This record gives sequence, C-alpha cells and structure tokens, in this order.
Amino acid sequence: MNRHRMITARSRATMIAGGLLLPALMTAQLDRSRVPVPGPAPVVNMGAHTTFLLPNNMRVIVVENHKLPMVGVQVRFDIPPMIQGGRAGYIDLVGDLLAAGTPTRDKATIDESVDRMGASLFTSNDGLYANALKKHLDGLMDIVADVITQPTFPEVELEKARKRAMSEVQQRQEDPGAIADAVGRAVTFGNFHPYGEVTTEKTLRLVDRAVLIGYHRKFFRPEKGYLVFVGDITEKEAKALAKEHFGKWKPKQVSHVVNDDGTETIEGIGIVQPWKHVATPAGPRRVVIVDRPGAAQSIVRVGFPLNFQPKDLRALNAQVMNTILGGGVFNARLMQNLREDKGWTYGTGSDLQADRFNGSFHTTANVRTAVTDSAVVETLNELLRMRDEPVTTEELELAKRYMAGSFARSLEDPRTVARFALNTYLNGLPEDHYATYLKRLEAVSIADVQAAAETFLYPDNAVIFVVGDRASILPKLEPLSQISDPAVIELDHNGKPYEEELERVKDRTAEQIIEHYLEAIGGRSAIATIRDMRTEITTELGGEATTLTQWYGPNNQYRSLMKVKGNSVQEEVLDGMRAVRKVPAQPDEELFDIDLLDLKQNAYPVPEVFIKDNVERLILSGSTMIGDRKTYKITMMTNAGTSLNDYYDAETGLKLRRVDLKYMYGRNLKIITDYSDYQPAGGVLFPRSLVQSGGPVGSMTMQVTAIEVNKPQAVGFFNTGLPAVVDE
Amino acid sequence: MRTLPIIIASMLAAPAAAQSSAIQFTEYDLDNGLHVILHQDASTPIVAVSVMYHVGSKNEEKDRRGFAHFFEHLLFEGSENIARGEFSKHVERAGGVLNANTTGDRTYYYEVLPSNQLELGLWLESERMLHARVDQKGVDTQREVVKEERRQRYENQPYGSILIEVLKRAYKEHPYQWPTIGFMEDLNAASEADYQAFYKKYYVPNNAVLVITGDFDPTAARTLVAKYFATIPKGANVVQPSIMEPPLEGEVRDVVYDRIQLPAVVTAYRMPANGTPDFYAVDLLNRLLSNGNSSRLNRSLKDEQQKAVYTGAFSLPFEDPGLTIMFAIANAGVDIKALETAMDAEVDRIRDQGVPAEELEKLKAQLETEAVQDRSRVAGIAGNLATAYMLLGDTKLVNTELDRYLAVSSEDLKRAANTFYNRKARVVLHYLPMSQKNP
Repeated sequence: MNRHRMITARSRATMIAGGLLLPALMTAQLDRSRVPVPGPAPVVNMGAHTTFLLPNNMRVIVVENHKLPMVGVQVRFDIPPMIQGGRAGYIDLVGDLLAAGTPTRDKATIDESVDRMGASLFTSNDGLYANALKKHLDGLMDIVADVITQPTFPEVELEKARKRAMSEVQQRQEDPGAIADAVGRAVTFGNFHPYGEVTTEKTLRLVDRAVLIGYHRKFFRPEKGYLVFVGDITEKEAKALAKEHFGKWKPKQVSHVVNDDGTETIEGIGIVQPWKHVATPAGPRRVVIVDRPGAAQSIVRVGFPLNFQPKDLRALNAQVMNTILGGGVFNARLMQNLREDKGWTYGTGSDLQADRFNGSFHTTANVRTAVTDSAVVETLNELLRMRDEPVTTEELELAKRYMAGSFARSLEDPRTVARFALNTYLNGLPEDHYATYLKRLEAVSIADVQAAAETFLYPDNAVIFVVGDRASILPKLEPLSQISDPAVIELDHNGKPYEEELERVKDRTAEQIIEHYLEAIGGRSAIATIRDMRTEITTELGGEATTLTQWYGPNNQYRSLMKVKGNSVQEEVLDGMRAVRKVPAQPDEELFDIDLLDLKQNAYPVPEVFIKDNVERLILSGSTMIGDRKTYKITMMTNAGTSLNDYYDAETGLKLRRVDLKYMYGRNLKIITDYSDYQPAGGVLFPRSLVQSGGPVGSMTMQVTAIEVNKPQAVGFFNTGLPAVVDE
Repeated sequence: MRTLPIIIASMLAAPAAAQSSAIQFTEYDLDNGLHVILHQDASTPIVAVSVMYHVGSKNEEKDRRGFAHFFEHLLFEGSENIARGEFSKHVERAGGVLNANTTGDRTYYYEVLPSNQLELGLWLESERMLHARVDQKGVDTQREVVKEERRQRYENQPYGSILIEVLKRAYKEHPYQWPTIGFMEDLNAASEADYQAFYKKYYVPNNAVLVITGDFDPTAARTLVAKYFATIPKGANVVQPSIMEPPLEGEVRDVVYDRIQLPAVVTAYRMPANGTPDFYAVDLLNRLLSNGNSSRLNRSLKDEQQKAVYTGAFSLPFEDPGLTIMFAIANAGVDIKALETAMDAEVDRIRDQGVPAEELEKLKAQLETEAVQDRSRVAGIAGNLATAYMLLGDTKLVNTELDRYLAVSSEDLKRAANTFYNRKARVVLHYLPMSQKNP
C-alpha cells in the first residue's frame, strides 16, 4: 500500500516537472561552473568469437555481428621477418601483386569482379582483407581463395609494379614524411635488419618473378594461416565457406636448409641471411640528418629499438606511460609542451611499439626549422622527466580513463573482436588477455609507470633523426650528439651515406660559369675598382662572441685578426709574397708551401678574378640541385694541392656553396660553406651570411656585419715583420 | 521442412535487417533556433555529441582569410567556466575523444564519449556556444600552431599546394578562391575586436545544429539539451553570402614548380552545387574515373598505358558551385603532355560514347556498399546527419541521398560530361620539378 502510494506520487511529480515547472527550475538551478557528474559507467560488452581448425590446420575465426548486412574477410599468415638483402622491396611486391593474376583470372578480371560487387580488396605481404555486402559474399570468397592459394605474379604485372615502385622511390626524395618513415626505420633498426631495409631503385631492379613465387610458396600455408570472418555471417555459414574454399588446400612442402656458413637456402627464394639479432638501445646518443635544403619545417624523431613483446607483463604499464608522454591524448606531455605551450608544431607524439620480433619507440614532431634543436632538447627532457619523476595522479587517471574509453569505443567495430582473437594467437597472449584488460588497466600505479619509463625509455642511447634544412640546423644539433668525427651523421633519402647526384652539362664550360658569376656580382670592371677592402665577420665559437676582421690590399696583400670576447687570438699577415701567423704567447710562424699558397689564392676580395693563376685544373663536374636551386658544380685542383668545389646557381649565377676538401690536424676534412644574402658593397655583391660545417671547430653560422671598400690602410699595415731572406 | 531452430533464427534476423535499412532519427528546434537531431543506437555504450556551425571560409572577409579555421583552433581554448587547456582534459579524463574540422561552408566540432558522459558533452558544447573565452596567450599560441599546420600540410608536402593553386585560379569573385587554412598575414593582422565580432555573428544557436547519436535515453537527452542550450540567447540572423561566380572565361593554364620528382597534371572544372541533380551526375563521373582498380583512369592510365603512378578524380561538394578535380602523377620518364592527353582522352570517351549500363551498375553497387558502411559508426552518422540538415537542407537525405545517385541514368552522365567537362572553361596545372625551371 505504502509502496503503491509512493509510486503514484513520484509519477505525478514527474508529470508536473515535465509539463510546466521543469524548464523554469532548470534555468534557475543551472550552475554552469559545475562539471556534470557522470552516471554509473556502462558495462563494456566484449563480444565473442568462435574458432575451429580446418583439416589442413588453417584456423578459422568467426565474429558474428548482424547489425549491418556486411561481411569482412581476412586471411593472415604468420610469417617471420626476413632480411631481403640486395632485393629489398620484393616482399612488398608480393603484397602488391597478390591479386594481379591467377591461373583463371587476370588482373583486369579480378579488379572488375571486385568493383562490380561494390567490394573492397586490400592485399599485403602476409595476406589480405576484403569486405562486401552479405549478398556478394560467395562471389568475394571465390576471388579471395583464388588469390591466396594460387597467385601467379605475372611477369607483365611485375614489370608495371616495378616501374611504379621505382617512380615512388624517386618521389620519396622530395617527400620529407616518406623519408622520415623509410630512413627513420633504417636509423632505428640498422640496414641489416628486416625492419630497417630501405627499398631503392637498385634493389627493385634485382627482384624477379621467381622470388615472389618462392616467398608465396614458403609462407602462404594453411598451417600458418588464419581465416577470419566478421559481420553478418553465422558460424555455420562460415564453416561451409571455409571448407569449400580452403579445406582442400594442401601446398607442397618447400625445402629449407641451413648451410655451413650460417646462411639458409629456401627453395624458390634462394640463399638468405637469417635474421637473429634483436636490436636494442645501444651506443651513445647521436644525431642523424637527411638534408632538405631550404625546408621550412624539420621532421624530428627521437627513437631507439626495444626488445619489447606484446606478451611482456609490463606492456600495459608501458602503454600507460607512453600515453602520458605522447601517445594519442591531446593532454600528453609532448603535445602540451611543444604545441600548446610553445606553439612550435601542429602535432607531436610518441609511439611505443610492442612487437613480438623487435619493438621500438620513437617520438615525432614537425617543427619550424628555427626551433629544431629546441624541440629535440624538450623531447629529450620529457623522456628524462618520465624516468626521473613520478607522474601525477591526475595524469595517471586521465591516461587510464582515456585508454579505457578507447577500448570501449574500439568495440563499436566488430573487427576489433576479431583483431583481439588474432593477436592472442599470433602473439601468444593469455586467453583472457583482452577480457582482463580493463581490470589490469585500473590496477596500473604511479610506481608502475615510472618503472616502465626506466625499463623502456633510453634518452642516452637515442638516435635523434632529423629531416630538414642542414645548413640551418646542423650547427645547433652538433652539441646534442655524444659522438664525434662526425658528430652528425648525414644520410641521403635512401638512408645511405650522402652522395651527390650529378648530371652532365654539355651546353657550357666551367670558364663561362665563372664569367657568369663575375658578371652576376657586378662585372669584372666593377670588381677591379675595389683595391682595398675590410670585412668584419661575427660568429660564436664555443658560446663566445667571435669576430674576424679581414683587410685586403692591392697586389695580394692581406691581413686578418680574430678576436674572441674582445681578445686577439690569432693574426695573419700576407705582404703579397710572404706570410706570417701570430698567436699570443707563441713565436711568430712563417707560412710556407701549401699553407702559403692556400692563403694567397684566397687573399683577394673576389678570388675568382685570378682563378687562372691559382688553379691547376678547372673542371665542370656537372649540375646538381641544392634545395630547389639548380647549380653547376665546378671542381678545382688548386696549386696548393687542395680540392675545392664551388656550386653556382644556374639561374642567378651566384655562388651558393663551397666544399673544401683538405687534410688538416691529422685528418681529412670536408668543410662546407653555404653563402646567402648577397648585398652590394662598392658596386659588387658579397654574401652576408655564411654557414660552415665540417671544419675543425664544428659548425657555425657567420654574419658579415661590415664591408668597407677603398679606404687604403697606412703604409706598413701589411708588413709581416719577418726578417729579410738572404739569397744563398 | 523447416525445423524450429531455423524459424526462430529467421525471426531473430528480421529486426536486425529492418534496423539496418534506415537511420532512425528525430529532430526539433529550440526556441533560440538551435536545431537538434537525435539518433539512438544502443549497440555500443558510447555517445557522440556534435555541433555544426554554418560558417566556413566562404563567410570570411577578403582580408581575414583563414578566420573560420583559426576559430576552430581557438574554440578549444576554453570558456568562462573552462580554463585554458581544460576543455580537452574534461573529454579525455572521461575516456572520450574530441576534434573539429573546417570546410568552405561549415565548422564541425565533436566528442565521442562513454554513454554515461552525455551530459558532459552537452555542457562542453554549450559552453563553447554561449561564452567561449580566448586569452592572448591562446591567440598567440594557436597562430603559431596554425602556421605549422600550414607548413606541414601544404608546404612541406609534395603536391601539397594543389588545392591552393587550383582554387585561386578557379574562382575570381567567390571566397572559395582561398583555402580554409587561409593566409598568415591576415591572421597576424586580426585584432581582438575582430574575434569578438566573428564569434558573436556566427557562433549562435540559430546558426547551428546539435546532433546526438549513440546509446542514450531520448527523453533524458531532450531534458539535458534544454538544460544546457535553451538559455543561450538567439543571435541575429546569419545571412550566407550570395556571390555569383561568373563562368571561367577560357582555359586557365599554368605551371607550378614544386619540390617533386614526378610531374603531375591537374585539371579542374566547375561543378554544380552539392545536392542539385547534376551534382550527383558529376560525382558519379568522378567515381567512374577513379573509384576502384577497374575505374577508367586507374585501368587506362596506370595499368594499360603505364603513364601514371597515381590517378584520382574527386568532387569538392560545396554549398555554392564547387569543383571537380582530376589529378595524375606521371610515371618516371613519362612526358607530361602525353599524360594530359591521356587524361583528356578518357573524358572525351565519356562525352562521345557515354557510359554503358553495366558500368553504371558497378558504380551503383559501390554506392550501395558505401551507404551501408556509412552506418557503421555513430560518430560518422552524426556528421552525416548534420551535413544533410545544414548543407543539403533535408535531414532525411541521410537515408534517401542514395536514391538520387541511383536515379542518374547513362544519358544523364553523358549529358553531364558534355556540359561540365568544358575544356574552354577549366584550370589546367602542370606540376613540374624545380630542376626543370629554366634559368
């Protein structure tokens, strides 16, 4: 009775509130500063799969979900990573060409059939994924089974795919993101690692049809295969389809022998170098760059390989740690620091990859060129902070709830359930791995996170990999490297040590290019009017303000004075014939032979005017790109025995770069100087900005802060003070 | 003979099939003009809350290009009750995700949350609509962030400038001539008063649609919507620009030098506004040209002639007449003129010979699959409902737009090809490597 009355009363209240009072009440009561309190958390329903084996041991996984009349079909083979060696790229081509022909269907037929069903088919080197409306499932399965069990990799399709792949490799050199991916992997894992091999035009040329067939025979096998159905299908239907299309599949065995030298011979593939060494963080921190001259942004990656498997008991702790650092959430430390606090980037994050063969970690940020080194420093700081300090409760809670929410959201897609099942088999996970996920996640503590950071983050062994404008970033990146000789490793877009690509030039000579340059900066007659000149260059050496003043006089007279923090550290004087070098607290040293010649040939305001006198051989080496500028490269063997390479802009005629190869301080140096910001002085253009790298003191940016012309020096200014030489 | 279990199974299957046939939704207006659409789907305990504002780059002044997109960034900064940086924290702490995007016509914000956090999503979106607040630090930071976004997506990316280069040549009057990312000089020049005015003008309930999809109780949701949105004052009527862009006079042909290795050809033609009958015909032509491996450009240019490594044809489905753009990247060593000729030949083939019935059937089979796939995620459904209501003018099109495609005949395609692929009114761009720039 009582109970009955209560219910009645409540219903009436609801009615009144709903009808009249509620809006007014709401308005009055709404306190916008109060964050709404959530109701009880919903129960996350995992969804289930069923599984069975075909007689040939192919495993079938079925996830039923009848919400939409669609079925997804996945075939996946468990294939260990392989070193491809000189044929890098062939494994990708297996994936590219899996649906390019079978004994009864050519590529056009397969493409046409798939499109006619409104279906999708994506192939890869370890299987395929396809989907279609339920009504087309039979037709789709015919094709799926055909391309999985008997692809023919037709020669004509291989040639087309090879041509496209080679074009894409060419294109990669202009795509910083693609370089960052391809070379970034090589830098993390090394070139002799299945994950680090870089496909080039050269390796693509060596791929033949036989190796594609061999790879398929060896690795596409029912006992190593999984057939997954997801969607509007029953277990019974799946069983019938699996039996019909894959039940009788029994490929022949493939011979696989280990040779005496440790290599292996696989029938159809040939001799392979087995991959055994799991890459782990090793070696001092180092900087690797790929030059993108003139790039407005640098892609910065800080990373290292890890021995980190999905079945690692600390894996979940590690993923919570990575979420706080930079994995996925907007409130991750890297995003908050580099984007929301500094405004250096549109997006940054970190990727912690558990992989049953070889895991890895890397951060990524696309930052504007000027803050490249700062972004690296902040990234390293965030890695260190994760190791050194416990995270806050707020950070931990946000990461855990976000991950729990992502888990729930991912289950909206029935393929997730199938993925969980497949992962459990492939990675040898406990059967209840995903069923216990939310519970295990809830248990992760601050201490667990810090322990994971200590176990999985190695800032001191990291490779700092940058794709960006070398000239602007190199000097600032060098101090971040803990190796020397060189401090910064330079690679090309294929991950190989940088080598210049030159094109033959037939329509002009080296002499014409030098004349064009002299013309471009003002012409010989204008240059001839400069008899005296003083230039002042400022830079920083080891953090100290440094100035270099140079005086040029008539007849190859020259004097220079270098000051650090206002104190003279070195002086050179050339009287046109003899030269002396003066260093405080040391006896004056006269320069002879190569040193003297080297000084003399550069002791002119514009040395190119006298190039014939000083250079033994002048060669037009070819044309090459520096950034987006086409340049002519002139190689000069000087009388001083050094080799100079000057790069002249094909359009403007101006000199953009000099590469000076010389032996100094007991080693071969390659000193690169980039010239820019040409401005006139005395009617002649001189570069006002010089960026030099590879010299004995590392890299530096130099500004020409003053140029003064035709103010003659006092008599005796260029005297060397050396005693006269007595002819014998 | 049918056994009992089979009969039961078929009975169980029936409602599922019915459910998948159409998206059920209800819609209504609040007094302040806010349009509300609800779509309930309890299969996963999540809920998507989204708001679409009818403001995009076409509402921008000529000297404030990029403002709508910049606002998208600013409106994550906070409100009178949400401190800077807290907006995303509220969502992520609740286990949700959030994001936004901007086009020429509209700006779209959304959160996907666990189903018990619907109220949080409504509170956040109502705060954004009622009194978003931006401090100078936020403006300064986001300006830098947008600069980096521009560099990352348009400048430091091969062919990344294509849309910018096409738009500026395809339109002379209409604001579609500039990209949504805009230009930094305009953002730098903007003052606080500009921001205030833009916010006051466009971020009003009568210029927005609120969509809730997923697992929620409709009655409770209505009450919550009223609680958080009913008191937001109505703004002045928003008048959309009515700029008539005259047809292109002749072919606009240009060369763009980019940091690329492989040359590319881009052709762009004006196309009818989204939702008009001929829009569907031209959009189908784009699918005919580039949807799937057996599509015409893919088969002909990539497979048969091996002239291209990549081909594409796509529509810019704008509220005012948009563009249909064709794009091909040359295989190494292929002459760019030969590539352009091959692209044009495929267009000519449609104009001269039309489209065989069975090829049209293929396109329709693809569309049918897409229509089903479009119903797979509540977040995607929310976006489609908002678009159908705001940009197509009829929410029901979320279910019936497919019919408009299916109504297109072979004859319509031929006629559309002849009308809209007009070589005397198009933009042709040759993308060439910098190294080919003649000294």
